Amino acid sequence: MAIVYEFVWQVLHVLLHIHRTLITWFRIRLRNWNGRLWSRALTALIVPMALSFPNQKNIVPAPGKRVDRRYRWGADGKSLEKLPDHIGLLIAEEEPRYTDIANLVVWCMAVGISYVSVYDNYGVFRRDNSRLMDEILKQQQELLDLEGSKQLCVEFLNNGTDKQDQQVLSCQSVLKVLSPDDGKLRIVQAAQQLCRAVEQRDKTSKDINVTVLDSLLRESKSTPDPDLVLKFGPVESTLGFLPWHIRLTEFISLPSHVGVSYEDLFSALQRYASCEQRLGK
Amino acid sequence: MAEWSKIPPNVFSEKGSVPLSLQVEVLKGVSEFFNMSWIREGELNLIEKLSANILKAGPMPKHVAFIMDGNRRYARKRHVERQEGHTQGFDKLAETLRWCLNLSIHEVTVYAFSIENFKRSKDEVDGLMELAKQKFIRLLQEQENLEKHGVCIRVLGDLTLLPLDLQQHIARAVVATRTHNKCFLNVCFAYTSRHEIANAVREMAWGVEQGLIKSSDVSEALLGHCLYSSNSPNPDLLIRTSGEVRLSDFLLWQTSHSCLVFQSVLWPEYSFWNLCDAILQYQLNHRPLQKARDQHREEQALQQHEADRACVADLLQHHGNGKPLDAQRRQEALLNYTASREERVQDFLGALQHKRDSFLTDLTSQAALA
Repeated sequence: MAIVYEFVWQVLHVLLHIHRTLITWFRIRLRNWNGRLWSRALTALIVPMALSFPNQKNIVPAPGKRVDRRYRWGADGKSLEKLPDHIGLLIAEEEPRYTDIANLVVWCMAVGISYVSVYDNYGVFRRDNSRLMDEILKQQQELLDLEGSKQLCVEFLNNGTDKQDQQVLSCQSVLKVLSPDDGKLRIVQAAQQLCRAVEQRDKTSKDINVTVLDSLLRESKSTPDPDLVLKFGPVESTLGFLPWHIRLTEFISLPSHVGVSYEDLFSALQRYASCEQRLGK
Repeated sequence: MAEWSKIPPNVFSEKGSVPLSLQVEVLKGVSEFFNMSWIREGELNLIEKLSANILKAGPMPKHVAFIMDGNRRYARKRHVERQEGHTQGFDKLAETLRWCLNLSIHEVTVYAFSIENFKRSKDEVDGLMELAKQKFIRLLQEQENLEKHGVCIRVLGDLTLLPLDLQQHIARAVVATRTHNKCFLNVCFAYTSRHEIANAVREMAWGVEQGLIKSSDVSEALLGHCLYSSNSPNPDLLIRTSGEVRLSDFLLWQTSHSCLVFQSVLWPEYSFWNLCDAILQYQLNHRPLQKARDQHREEQALQQHEADRACVADLLQHHGNGKPLDAQRRQEALLNYTASREERVQDFLGALQHKRDSFLTDLTSQAALA
């Protein structure tokens, strides 16, 4: 009898996997189809412009269009009831696509989100952060026609210091690149610090409470906890993302970061805007 | 289950202004509520049994955590009193525990009362405390039932924040079921995850103060052992109902690699099929989560090894005679250090468990004297 149940279970899971694969395939097809329609429409619009710029072969919109998009995205952000102060992008997929992640970061900043964190549970972004930064600067230029640090500015924060606090104030948006070491390991390091203080009789155990621990775990005094985490990938877990900071964080799952569009991001932000937090009351 | 009950305030404060018929209705409902059993008797029907057996052919979660959200919304939807919503919610908990036992899930953790809920009005909080007291009294009356099913009740949270009489009832329930080991129900009461983590750090600092451990012994594993949930494995699956997609300060440390399932059904409407759906999600995520957990464990072991090595190097520098030791001596020193650290940690954890047990037994003896 057990063999029968096992067989049925196997069949069930095969069906579920097929179902999932079909949905992913269908979604990609739909996007490509839509994308082709959109790019055809765009071509129709800019053909007159292309005639006066004979060198322009690809479908990159003219600079005027980029500025329009920047303002449109900013307006979109303002139109929402609430916008997260701090958004986390949790990439729960095996192979990160830097261009797509850079797009997400740039869109988040364009929409008006002050703090953007990027996380993967292998710590790849942390180790390879220069590649990510280059990609982001490139996409900033590509999507928004901004060079260097004109309006949007990307600060790479690793460990908060007072000096960086001042730098942060001059930037419109801040990017943080996180790894699992910023989660439990940071909490353990803070605990070690407090225990050392107790060992050296600078503190007693009774002095330790949530506030004390929280101030040690805050990157800088101004960095808020993530309000929203967008999780990309099929794995339904936080995978070690900042356990201390996510007590009130909303989690919205998106199937994949590969080929993600601005519309995907914006609909997630709209969903966040409609969430109600009662905070225990 | 952040919103438990909003009892009409006039029941407790302005007795004279409430019509007698309403008082009787409320008291009837309340006593029905109090007589509710914590464990529903019953077996699954044929289709449910078949489905359960099919699911059990795959990996099953051993520990499931529930955030039972949606009682008040359910009451609004059904146009009944909020009280009724909470009654049904508790009823549903009893039913869900029964389903978990049928599915061979032997450990369940539920979020009953958050420290944030103290922010509610005094009347409401007092009402909730009274309700909880009655529930725990009822629990003690079901001793035989609990013994029959081998149910061990644990209450996780800062009990010192609760009224003394409630603390005593909780202590009695926990001590009475301490030796049971067939299934485990962990009730988070006066709990938030941040308080739990801060408390664990405080306990480790206490250990340092008592000279039981050194600050260099502090590690992720040790912190985990100092949490209120130290006697339980981490939850494999966390389910939150009513469509909210946040953790609300619940088991943040323990669920870092758990399968999170957010379901839109309101808690009082939870069905066996909702539970099966959640378990199916767990099974689909099982392999990648296992991989992530194993990877994390490996990294943890590596970090511990590095930390031990650093400590040994430090010790040798301070106590050595300046001559560099050969590799074999260094390896020996490392093994000795690791063994002595582990022994220190075990002694400390023993002392911590003893401290916690004494706290509960003191409460029960106070209750007995009262």
